[in-house]
Amino acid sequence: MRLLALAIGAAGLLLWPWAAPRYFVFLASLIVVNAIVAIGLNLLSGYTNQLSFGHAGFLAVGAYTAAIVATRSPGAPVVVATLAFGFVVVEAILNLDGLTRGNDGLRVPAARLGPWALATDTARYYLVLVVGAVMMWAAGNLARTRTGRALLALRESEVAAQASGIHVARYKTLAFAISALYTGVAGGLFAFVVGFLSPDAFDVFLSVDFVAMIILGGLGSVPGSVAGAAVLTVLNDSLAGFQNYRPLIFGAILIASMLFMPGGIASAVRRLRTRWAGHPPMAPDSRRGLE
Amino acid sequence: MTSAALVHVVVSGLATGSIYALVALSLVIVYNATRTLNFAQGEMLMVSTFAGFTVYAHVKLPLVVVMLIAVAAAALLGWVIERVIIRHAIAATHFDVLIITLGLSLVLRSAAGLAWTHDEFPFPSFFGTRPIVLGPVRVAPVSLGIIGASLALMLGLWALFTGTRLGRAMRAVAQNQRAARLVGISVERVYAASWILASVVGAIAGVLIAPVVFLSSQMGLVAINGFIAAVLGGFGSMPGAVVGGMLLGVIENLAPLYLPSSIKHSVPFLVLIAILLVRPGGMLGRVARRKV
Repeated sequence: MRLLALAIGAAGLLLWPWAAPRYFVFLASLIVVNAIVAIGLNLLSGYTNQLSFGHAGFLAVGAYTAAIVATRSPGAPVVVATLAFGFVVVEAILNLDGLTRGNDGLRVPAARLGPWALATDTARYYLVLVVGAVMMWAAGNLARTRTGRALLALRESEVAAQASGIHVARYKTLAFAISALYTGVAGGLFAFVVGFLSPDAFDVFLSVDFVAMIILGGLGSVPGSVAGAAVLTVLNDSLAGFQNYRPLIFGAILIASMLFMPGGIASAVRRLRTRWAGHPPMAPDSRRGLE
Repeated sequence: MTSAALVHVVVSGLATGSIYALVALSLVIVYNATRTLNFAQGEMLMVSTFAGFTVYAHVKLPLVVVMLIAVAAAALLGWVIERVIIRHAIAATHFDVLIITLGLSLVLRSAAGLAWTHDEFPFPSFFGTRPIVLGPVRVAPVSLGIIGASLALMLGLWALFTGTRLGRAMRAVAQNQRAARLVGISVERVYAASWILASVVGAIAGVLIAPVVFLSSQMGLVAINGFIAAVLGGFGSMPGAVVGGMLLGVIENLAPLYLPSSIKHSVPFLVLIAILLVRPGGMLGRVARRKV
């Protein structure tokens, strides 16, 4: 039953570019990119209860890194472009304006994967989809590793975790690093999907959008992150003509999710599922369980 | 740099610092009662100031009346927010309430933009523009006025917290909620009182600072420096909030004299990092110990 649903979902995602108009293929790519950021942010907030209003910054670093690598060495495979973080950050600090063209913005050349140039929306969609699926799978499995269990213990009680030999500072730093890695990779993909970068796209309000995605989706839930990212990306896109109302609606969503749907979409779905199965409703304190 | 000019810079720094201190106080008042950081404090301040301004724009009332209207609007806003939204999340974690206030700040700023546009408005000042000359020293009357009014308000708060039943109840709730409930204090009423009081203190800060920075929907961003001031002093400590605010205002005004002027906006964060490295609990605060 579960496998069947997964197979139908996967087939739907793979066939999407043939069923939908070009713009919706682009939008789907954007959803996946945002979902990767949301998963990354959720690894931080869901595990350590820390908020970050700086994730737009990591996204910017990742995006500019990818764009610059692709511009400088046009033959470089996209993997290099998305993962080549550190050295470009150093170079960027040394030589900022020449690299990023400041406020004029930066046009991103097409990504290359071996012999293929990913020049169409469909090609970029598949690239983003594959990377997104791998990262989602990795995040889902994290809870089953030693590190993941340490993070879970940390979330339940810092003091108790410390008492059982978990180095709190080290694991919190690790959670932040993994979170930043996810966001950086998403930034690289963002650069290729959008094709044009300028600094004002990465303001603090973008960081707030990411926070809204994981709150709506459900803290600590990987599928929830994806759902939150999907809903808010589509909403954001349909509100393009009503920029003034956007923060109003996003703020109202934050308040409403906390008041009426604590635990977000993820726990609402879980509650519905137990009700259909005929079980009594679960205890309220287990609402932040990780799946 | 003559010493007279230095005095001028320090006095205007103290004036800015008084505003930071008031905003820090309003954050601390809510934090002490409910253990929640109110992200919407800056926006509540901005909306209350706009309420006073709207009345002033239609009827040219004396400024004292305008301030009273802003205060009344603030009290109403604080009460409504507490009763309608925060009270429903009384069982939620602090993290959840934090997210709610974050959402509130977005909603309030956006709604203010829709109601009053995102333009900047000149706000009338209580104080003249002719500098007060004391020997070689010249200071702006608005600086002295802000400092004086803020000090008076802080004295009033001190009297409230030490001399009245309500103030003692608020301090009891801050110390231990369960014990406070056991001696018959209504914790819910203290929550509501704290939100109203914080909102009122914020509104007074807003009316005082609006003539200097102009009134706009972005005015709420002053809460960021207020927050830094509260952390500097030790979050939760009221004297700490006042000291932290004053210190931050003076350093922020002095720094451009000795360092590149572009550094001004980074100064609060640099001061924050420096103080937290030396004293992790802030200047007058203690490092909290959490038990299982």
